[in-house]
Amino acid sequence: MGGLALCLLLAGCAGSGEGLDANGRPLDEGGGGTVPLTPDLASIQANVFTPVCAPCHSGAGAPQGLQLDAENSYAALVGVPSSEVPGLLRVEPGEPDSSYLVQKLEGRASVGARMPLGQPALPEATILVIRQWIQDGALPDSAGSAAALSPFAVKAVSASASVIAVAFDRPPDASLVSPATVELRAAASPATSPAIGTVLEVSRHNDSLLLIEPAAPLAPGSYELTLRGSGPVALADWSAGVLDGDGDGRPGGDHVATFDIVEAP
Amino acid sequence: MNRHSWTIARAWLAAVAAMAAHSALHAEPYLAVQQGYRCAACHASATGGGLRTEFGNLYAQNVLPAHRLDLGEESWTGSVSKFVALGGNLRGGWTGASIEGQDSSSEFDVTEGRIYLQVQPIPGRLALYVDERVAPGAADNLEAYAKYTHAPQQWFVRVGKFYLPFGLRLEDDSAFTRQMPGLSMTTPDTGVEAGWESEQWSAQLAVSNGSGGGPETDDGKRVTGQLVYVQPVWRLGAAASHNSSDAGDRTGYALFGGVRTGPIAWLGEFDFVTDDGFSTGTRDLMSGLLEANWQPRQGHNAKLTGEWLDPDADVDEDEQVRWSLVYEYSPIPFLQLRGGARLYDGIPQNALQNREEYFVELHGYF
Repeated sequence: MGGLALCLLLAGCAGSGEGLDANGRPLDEGGGGTVPLTPDLASIQANVFTPVCAPCHSGAGAPQGLQLDAENSYAALVGVPSSEVPGLLRVEPGEPDSSYLVQKLEGRASVGARMPLGQPALPEATILVIRQWIQDGALPDSAGSAAALSPFAVKAVSASASVIAVAFDRPPDASLVSPATVELRAAASPATSPAIGTVLEVSRHNDSLLLIEPAAPLAPGSYELTLRGSGPVALADWSAGVLDGDGDGRPGGDHVATFDIVEAP
Repeated sequence: MNRHSWTIARAWLAAVAAMAAHSALHAEPYLAVQQGYRCAACHASATGGGLRTEFGNLYAQNVLPAHRLDLGEESWTGSVSKFVALGGNLRGGWTGASIEGQDSSSEFDVTEGRIYLQVQPIPGRLALYVDERVAPGAADNLEAYAKYTHAPQQWFVRVGKFYLPFGLRLEDDSAFTRQMPGLSMTTPDTGVEAGWESEQWSAQLAVSNGSGGGPETDDGKRVTGQLVYVQPVWRLGAAASHNSSDAGDRTGYALFGGVRTGPIAWLGEFDFVTDDGFSTGTRDLMSGLLEANWQPRQGHNAKLTGEWLDPDADVDEDEQVRWSLVYEYSPIPFLQLRGGARLYDGIPQNALQNREEYFVELHGYF
C-alpha cells in the first residue's frame, strides 16, 4: 500500500516547464534564457551561477551566507574573503589559481567538498571560461563595452590541403578556440561524418587570424568548416562579444564555410 | 501558491501522517525506525549522526552485518577508556553521471572521511566533542561543542558548533528535504542547544548564528526547535526554524515520521519554507520524501526513495522529482557496500534537472 502511495504521489509530479526559462523562472521575470557560455559575468551567471549554484546559494539561508543569484553574486564573490579560508578571496581579479571559487569548482580547495555539492563536477570547458573571466579582471558586466562595438564576425576563410585560415574582424578569445567551437567535416554528409582532427592556433603574427591544421593533409573533396556562435560554448572576442556567425548583425549563430580541395597535396 | 502544488503538498502531508499513525503494524533514520530506537540510542548526538555509542557499535557488529565475526573481547565499542571515545567514517567509490548534451562523466573519489572524538572528564555528565572532516582535502571542523547532561540523563545543554535539529538526519545531503531547507550535515551552525530525552520523547531547542556555517555577519539569529515522539513501530516528529538575517527572514517547518511494516521501514518527510531573501520577492518552497527500506535478509537493505521539490510554490510547472534505488550490503561488521542510481526529473529545458547518477561506494566505519 505504501509503495503504491509513493508511486501515485510522484507520478507526473515533475513540472512541464511551460512558460519558464531554463532556470525554472517565469519568462516574464527576465534574467533567464539560454545564452552561449562566454567569459563574462552575465553569461556565467546565466549558465552556471543561476542554474547550478543558486538553487542552494540564494535566499536568507544561503550556505556560508554566499548568495549567487544574479543580484548578489558579484558583490558576494569579487574581492570578498572566503569564509572557509579567509586568507583567500573568493574571486581575486586576474588570479584564477588563487581564487577560492575556482579551487572549490576544481576540487582542490583545502576545506570542504567540491562544488557543486551532490552534483556532477562542472565540465572542464566551463571552469576554463570562469577562469578566463577572472583572468580578464572579473569585470561586473561587459554588456556596455560589447554593445559599443560591431558584432564579432568572420571576414574571410581560405583553405588549402594543409591549412585553413580564418580571418576575424578582431582577435578571438583564444581560450574559447577548441574542437567544441571549431569543427571540420567532410561536406558530403556533414551531419554523420566524423569531425576531422585538427590543430588550432591563433597566428603569432596576426592575432585576428585563426590557423586550422588538419591532422593529415586533406584529400580532394568538399569540406565544411563550422565556427560556433551558438550552443553551450561559443567563439567570442576578448570583450566576451559572441561571434555573429549567421551575419544578422547580432551576436549568435554558427558560421558555416564550405570549400573544395581540388588536388592532392 | 498554485493549486497543483497545494494538492501535492496535502497528499504528502497525509501520507506522512498516515505512516506515523499506523500503530496497528508491528515495530541512519531507517535503522532507528526498524528497531524502534531513538537516535540517541546509537549516536552520541540526540538527533543522530556522528560518533556511535557503545550500544551503536555493538549493534553494528551483531545486528547489521550478514556475517558476524567472533572478535572475542577485542571487539570495538568506541570507548578507548572510560573517558575517551573515538569513531569515524570513510566513504569512497565510483560515481557516474549522464547529462543530456554533455559527455558522460565518471570518477573514483573519496567522498568523505570523518573522525569523531569525545572526551568525558566527568563520564555521563560533561562531554567535549569534535567532528572533523579529514577527507577529501585538508581537515575541516564540522562539529565542536561542550555538552552538559543533567544527572538523570534527560536534560542536556550544549554550546559550540553542531548540526541543527530539523527533520530526518539522512546520510544523503543531496536529498531535496535536506538541500531545500538548507539544514544538513554540510551546514552546521554555532550556538547553544537545550534538549530533553525520555523513553518516548526527544526534544531540542537551539539558538544559533544562522549564517549557514559561515561567520556571523549581523545581529540576527536562528531559532530551531524539534519534537519527536517515538513508539516501537512508529514515530512522528515536527520541527520549525526561523532565521532572521540582513539577507532576509527564512522560516521553515518540517513534519516527518516513520513506521515499520514487517521487513520494510518507511520514512516520510514534508518541508515548507518561506524566504523573503530572494531579490524577486518572497518565495514559498516545499519538498517531500517517501522512502521504503526493505531488508530481505540480515545484512541486506534495498532502499527506494521518491522525492519531490517545488522551488517556488507561486510558479506553475517548475516542480522536480528524484527517484533513488540503492542497495546496501553489510558483509561483516563495520563495512558496507552500497550501489545505486538516482534519476532526476525536472523541467525539460534544464538538462541538469533531468540527469542520471550512478554510484558504487565502500563505506567503512567504527
